[in-house]
Amino acid sequence: MPSRPFRSPVRPARPAEWATASRCSVASVHFVIMGCGRVGSTLARTLGRNGHDVAIIDADASAFRRLGTSFEGQTVTGIGFDRDTLIAAGIREAYAFAAVSSGDNSNILAARVARETFGVEHVAARIYDPQRAMVYQRLGIPTVATVRWTADQMIQRLLPQGAVPELTDPSGKIVIAEVPLAEGWVGRHLTDLEEQTGARVAYVTRLGEGTLPRPDMVVQQGDLVHLTVPRDDLARVERLCDQAPAAH
Amino acid sequence: MRVVIAGAGSVGRSIARELLGNGHQVLLIDKDADDVQASRVPEASWLLADACELAALEEARLEESDVCVAATGDDKANLVLSLLAKTEFGVPRTVARVNNPKNEWMFDESWGVDVAVSTPRLMTALIEEAVSIGDLVRIFEFQQGRASMVEITLPEGSPFAGRRVGDVDWPTDTVLVAIIREERPLAPTPDDAIEAGDELLFITTTEQEDRLQDLVAPGERHHTSLED
Repeated sequence: MPSRPFRSPVRPARPAEWATASRCSVASVHFVIMGCGRVGSTLARTLGRNGHDVAIIDADASAFRRLGTSFEGQTVTGIGFDRDTLIAAGIREAYAFAAVSSGDNSNILAARVARETFGVEHVAARIYDPQRAMVYQRLGIPTVATVRWTADQMIQRLLPQGAVPELTDPSGKIVIAEVPLAEGWVGRHLTDLEEQTGARVAYVTRLGEGTLPRPDMVVQQGDLVHLTVPRDDLARVERLCDQAPAAH
Repeated sequence: MRVVIAGAGSVGRSIARELLGNGHQVLLIDKDADDVQASRVPEASWLLADACELAALEEARLEESDVCVAATGDDKANLVLSLLAKTEFGVPRTVARVNNPKNEWMFDESWGVDVAVSTPRLMTALIEEAVSIGDLVRIFEFQQGRASMVEITLPEGSPFAGRRVGDVDWPTDTVLVAIIREERPLAPTPDDAIEAGDELLFITTTEQEDRLQDLVAPGERHHTSLED
């Protein structure tokens, strides 16, 4: 395998780039995206608006219409795991590579080629199949497993009660979940809640806005409390939150 | 031997028939196969599934098979299946079909492929073997391309014509395994003389091929490989 060249994320910029780069927090870098569907085109437009250099690959040239007329990046028609196509898209200068085509197999192939053949450090692949996503994650390719996430989101909207994990850590052991609280918790301190359940308050959605918990904060009517809990413990914590709290 | 073949097209089915004929157990996996195709290879087991899905491979009990053959018409699927077969199911030997020669470079141990088979490459080699004289032709590459079988037909006027096999300073790691003369194979001994028109078969390493070409037919480096 070729040795990885040292890759500095800061490229020498031409004057026009300095103007856009000064609006962002990170220096302008080069991104390569494979797949110009909804996700790919959204990624490309967002990164472009933030002042980054973007090249997007798709086997079907008509997909590039999703980028709109104001997109200033580069489009490359070709197969995303083909070395020539990747080189044309500037993979050798790429800071990051995103594989978001509609095919799991294409995405994983391209992600590995980007990382192992071209030494791109920041690589991620969107994988629909949750089982294969786990396999690739173990190979060292960060994967975004959309099926599990979407299913959880749907359940959250369809089921009136019950705690649904919003975020799961990569090991799968810790979740952040919005846990419904019984009426009796209104007026009690968040620290009380933590003590009685053993969970930690990650954040509170109050009047539609996410807020970090403060030590003196009490539960208000309408608050949505998001708890950091071991996944195996979620059911127990849910039950405690569903009952009135123990007396002081 | 228990063999699992993914891809029940004409290639997969004909591999299945041959293996069954040699007394092995065969399972064919295809997501599009229908009853008609199944009836053409009645002694094989069939699984209607996507061979890249872990659930399907678990149902196929891939961990109990001796060989996994990825014979679909999709290189991506062949690579992913080989990887899963190696890393998740510990299959001892994986064989994968290469459809597009441009992808051939990926078919190695990093994707769990033990043996890659590329039909276009094989055909090219066999065509060249039939028509070229004076050029070294690679007929076959062994495991991961370290050793290869090559052949060269000695042209008229070659400086080698008339020389004894034992007198030639062959390159290292090179073995002259046979001389085919007037369509008859001869096992070469050191006393045999090489004649113009002889087809010489060598087993050598890919690194030594150029030296062998220069030795036997200097100045005629036309041999091409599919990497060019």
